[in-house]
Amino acid sequence: MTLALASLLLPLGTALLMLALRLRSGNWVIVASLGSLLCAGLALNQVLDQGLQTLVIGGWRTPLGIRFELSTLTALLLIFTAMTHLLVAIYAQYSRHSQTRDTDYWPLSSLLHASLAALWLSRDLFNWYVTLELLGLVAVAMIILSGPKAYAPALRYLLLSLAASLCYLLGVALLYGRYGVLDLDLLAQASQADHSTRMALLLMTVGLMLKAALWPLHLWLPAAHSSAPTAVSALLSALVVKGPLFILWLLWSRVAPLEMTESAGLLFALAGIVALLSGGWAALRTPLLKRLVAYSTVAQLGYALLALGLLLRWQQSELSVALWLFVLAHGLAKVSMFLAAGEMQATLGSRRVASLKGATQTMPVAMFAFAVAGGSLIGLPPSGGFVAKWVLLQPLLAEPIHWPWALGVLIGTLASAAYVFRVVALSFDRAEATPPNFNPDPFAQWLALLPAIAVWGLALFSQPLIRWLTEASG
Amino acid sequence: MSGTTFYLCLGVVLWLLGLHGLLRLQQTLRRIMAINVMGSSTFMVMVALASRDGHNDPVLQALVVTGLVVAVSATAFALRLAVAHQPRRSSRQSTREPGE
Amino acid sequence: MPAPELLLDLTLGALLLILAVAALHGQRLYTGIISFIAFGLLLALVWARFGAPDLALAEAVIGAGLTGVLLLSALGRSDSDSEPAPIRAPARMLAALLLGVLVLILLLRAVLPLAQGPQPLPALVASQLEASGVSHPVTAVLLNFRAWDTLLELLVLLLAVLGVRQLRPSGQPQPGVWPLLQAWSRVLAPLSVLTAGYLLWRGSHAPGGAFQAGALLAAGVVMLRLAGLLPELRWAYWPLRALVLIGLALFLSIAAAGAWLGDGWLSYPPGWSGPLILLIEVAATLSIAASLSLLVVGERKELER
Repeated sequence: MTLALASLLLPLGTALLMLALRLRSGNWVIVASLGSLLCAGLALNQVLDQGLQTLVIGGWRTPLGIRFELSTLTALLLIFTAMTHLLVAIYAQYSRHSQTRDTDYWPLSSLLHASLAALWLSRDLFNWYVTLELLGLVAVAMIILSGPKAYAPALRYLLLSLAASLCYLLGVALLYGRYGVLDLDLLAQASQADHSTRMALLLMTVGLMLKAALWPLHLWLPAAHSSAPTAVSALLSALVVKGPLFILWLLWSRVAPLEMTESAGLLFALAGIVALLSGGWAALRTPLLKRLVAYSTVAQLGYALLALGLLLRWQQSELSVALWLFVLAHGLAKVSMFLAAGEMQATLGSRRVASLKGATQTMPVAMFAFAVAGGSLIGLPPSGGFVAKWVLLQPLLAEPIHWPWALGVLIGTLASAAYVFRVVALSFDRAEATPPNFNPDPFAQWLALLPAIAVWGLALFSQPLIRWLTEASG
Repeated sequence: MSGTTFYLCLGVVLWLLGLHGLLRLQQTLRRIMAINVMGSSTFMVMVALASRDGHNDPVLQALVVTGLVVAVSATAFALRLAVAHQPRRSSRQSTREPGE
Repeated sequence: MPAPELLLDLTLGALLLILAVAALHGQRLYTGIISFIAFGLLLALVWARFGAPDLALAEAVIGAGLTGVLLLSALGRSDSDSEPAPIRAPARMLAALLLGVLVLILLLRAVLPLAQGPQPLPALVASQLEASGVSHPVTAVLLNFRAWDTLLELLVLLLAVLGVRQLRPSGQPQPGVWPLLQAWSRVLAPLSVLTAGYLLWRGSHAPGGAFQAGALLAAGVVMLRLAGLLPELRWAYWPLRALVLIGLALFLSIAAAGAWLGDGWLSYPPGWSGPLILLIEVAATLSIAASLSLLVVGERKELER
C-alpha cells in the first residue's frame, strides 16, 4: 500500500513545494508524474501478486477510522491518472500554443492528480464527500485559467457542483442515521431495502450524476469544458468526471440492496441510451470544435451509464469490465482529441468546426490524431473502444430478449461515427483549405497522436486487462 | 415530539427551501445564500441525528465541523467568482450566463 | 418531554424559517444578507441547544461572522440590489408546488424513522478515547480517528485560496474606513488573538480546537484589515505563504513519516499522540487563519503573482 500512497504523495508534495517556492517550471510536475506513474505501476504489480490490499488509516479499524483499499481497478485507475497527467503536463510545458505555461496550472493540476488518487483509494462515504469537493473546486480553479470569458460557465458549474455535493451529503447523513456506519463494506453488509435507504441512495445518485455529467444532469459540461484551456479540457473530460462515476458504481454495486438495483438499473440504462443519442445529435449540430468534443464526452458517458444500468439489472460482472474498459479507452481517446483540437484551433486561428477545411493539408498529424481517437470512440476494431464495446455487446447478443439494447448501442455507434466523420470529411476538402495563422507545432501534434495510438494499443493488452478488471469486480 | 424529530423535519424543510431558491432565484448572491441554507439544513439533520437517545455522537459533530469549513471555503470562492463575473455597469439585472 | 424545551424549539424553528425565507425571497438584497447573518447566529443557538458547543463556536465565527463579511463585501461590489420580478406562470408554479410537496413527503418519511437507529460509534469513540491522546471526543475524532478528513479539509481551504488567486481582479476602490471600526478593532483584535489561543489550548480537553481558533484569528485579521490598521498582505510575501502551507506540510510530513518510518499512514507513535496532535493543531490554526483571511479580505495586490 505504501506504493499507492507514494503515488498520491508525490503530486501532493510537488504542489506544495511549487507553491512554497513559487516555482513556475512544469518540469517539476513532469518528473513527479513520472514518479507517480512508476509507483502506481509497482502498486499494480503488488496487487496482482498479493491480492487485495487494505489499509486502515491511523490503525483505527472501521467503523471508527477510514479505510483505504487497493484493488486491481484502483491500481489501474492510479496508473491511468498518472499517465494522463504526465501526457497533458508535457503538452502544457512544451507545446508552443499552450496557454497555461506560466500560470498556477502546475500546482493545480498536481492537486487534481492527488485528489483523484485520494478518491480512488478511499472507501469511506464522508471521505468521498471531501474528495468530491476537492475535485469540484480544483476543476473550477483550472477552468478560470482561460480568463474572464470562462467565468460564466465556471460559476454555473461551481454552483451546481456545490448543490450536488450537498445532495450527496444529505444522502450520507441519511445512511449514517439508518445504519450508524460510514464504511462502504460495513454498509454493504448492513443495508436493507427500506424507504430511508432508497431516498438516501436517490439523493446520492442525483448528486453524483450531476458531478459526472450523466444525462440528464449534463447541461453544464459542454460550456465548461470548451471554455477551459486545452490542457485543462483534456484533464476534465478524461479524469474529473470519472471520479463520481467510480463512487456511483461502487455504491450501487455493493451497497444497494438487490430489490432496488433492478429498477434503478433500467433507469440508468435508458438514460445511457438517451445520452448517446442526444450527445451525438448535439455534437453533430454545434458549430464550435471544442464543444463538439465536449458533447462527445456526454455521449460516450452514455456507454458507461448503459453498462452500469445493465450490470445492476442482470448482475453480470462482465458488464463491470465493459464499464471500466470504456472509461479507460474514452479517457485516452478524449485526451488525444482535445489536444489535437486545441492545436488545430490555435494554429488555424478559429474556434469553429468550419475552419478545419483542408486541415489534412496544413496539419496532417493533428487531424490524423483526431481521426484515430475518433475511431476508438466509434468502436472501430481493433481499438480499445472496440474491445469495450465487444465486452458490452456479448451479453446483449446472447439472448434475443436483449437485442433492443444492442440496437441502442448500434444507433449510438452510428451517432459517434456521424460527428467524427463530419470533422474528418471536412478536413479532406482541400479545395480552399484554411490557411494557418501561425506555424504549426509538430511536437504538440505528435504528442496528441500518442494517446490515440495508445488507445488502439489497448487492444493488445485486452486479455490481461479484462482479467484484472474481472478480479476487481468479482 | 422530541427535539430530534422536530429538527429533522425542520432540516428537511429548510433543505427544500434552499434547493427551490437555487433553482428559481436569478441573482447569483441569493443563489449562493440558497446553497448555504441547503448546507446548514444538512448540518441540522446531522446534528439532530447526533443527539439521538440523549447521547452525543462526536463523529457526526466532527463531520459537521469539517463540513462547515468546506462550505465557507466554497462560498468564498463562489462569491469572488460571482463578483469578478459581474457585468460592469450593465443594464442587465440577470446574472444568468449568456448562451455562447 | 418538558414543555419549555418544546416551546424553545418551536420558537427557534419558526424564527429560522422566517429568516431563511427573508434571506432568499426578501425584496432587497441587503436585508436578505442581514437576515442570513441572523440565521447563522440562531443556528449557533440551535447547535448549543443540542449540546454541541464546538459546533456553536464554529458556526458563530464561520457561518455567521466570516460568511456575513463575505456576502456584504460581495454586495458592495455588485451592481444591482433588488431581485427582478419573477415570471409568473400559474401552471408552472402549481406543478412546482406539487412536486415540492411530493419530495417533502418522501424526504420526511425517510427521515422520521431515523430518530431511532443503531449508533455503534459513540461507544467506540469513548472506549478508544484514552488511546487517542486527547480527552475531548470531537478533537479525538478530528485529529486522530478521522485525521485524513481533516488533512483533506486543509487542502480544500488551500484550493479555495488558489482558485481566488486565478481571478482577474475587479479593481474596485476600497471604501472609506469607519472610525468606530478603527477604535473597536484596536480593542477586539488582541482579544481575538487571546481567545483564539485559549480555544486552541482548550480543544484537547473541552470544546474548542484548531478550526474555531483559526477562524477567530481570521476574524481578528479581517477586522484589522477593514479598519485599515493592517498593511496589504501579498502572496509574494513568503511568511504569508509559509503560514498558509504550514498546516498541510506538517500534517503530510507526519503522515508520511508514519507510513515509511513508523506504524502506518497517519499512525501516531504510542505515547506521542498528545504532543503531535497539539503540534498539528497549532500549525493548522495558523494555516486556517491565514487562508480564511486571504479568502475574505484578500485584495488585488495581495493575491497577485
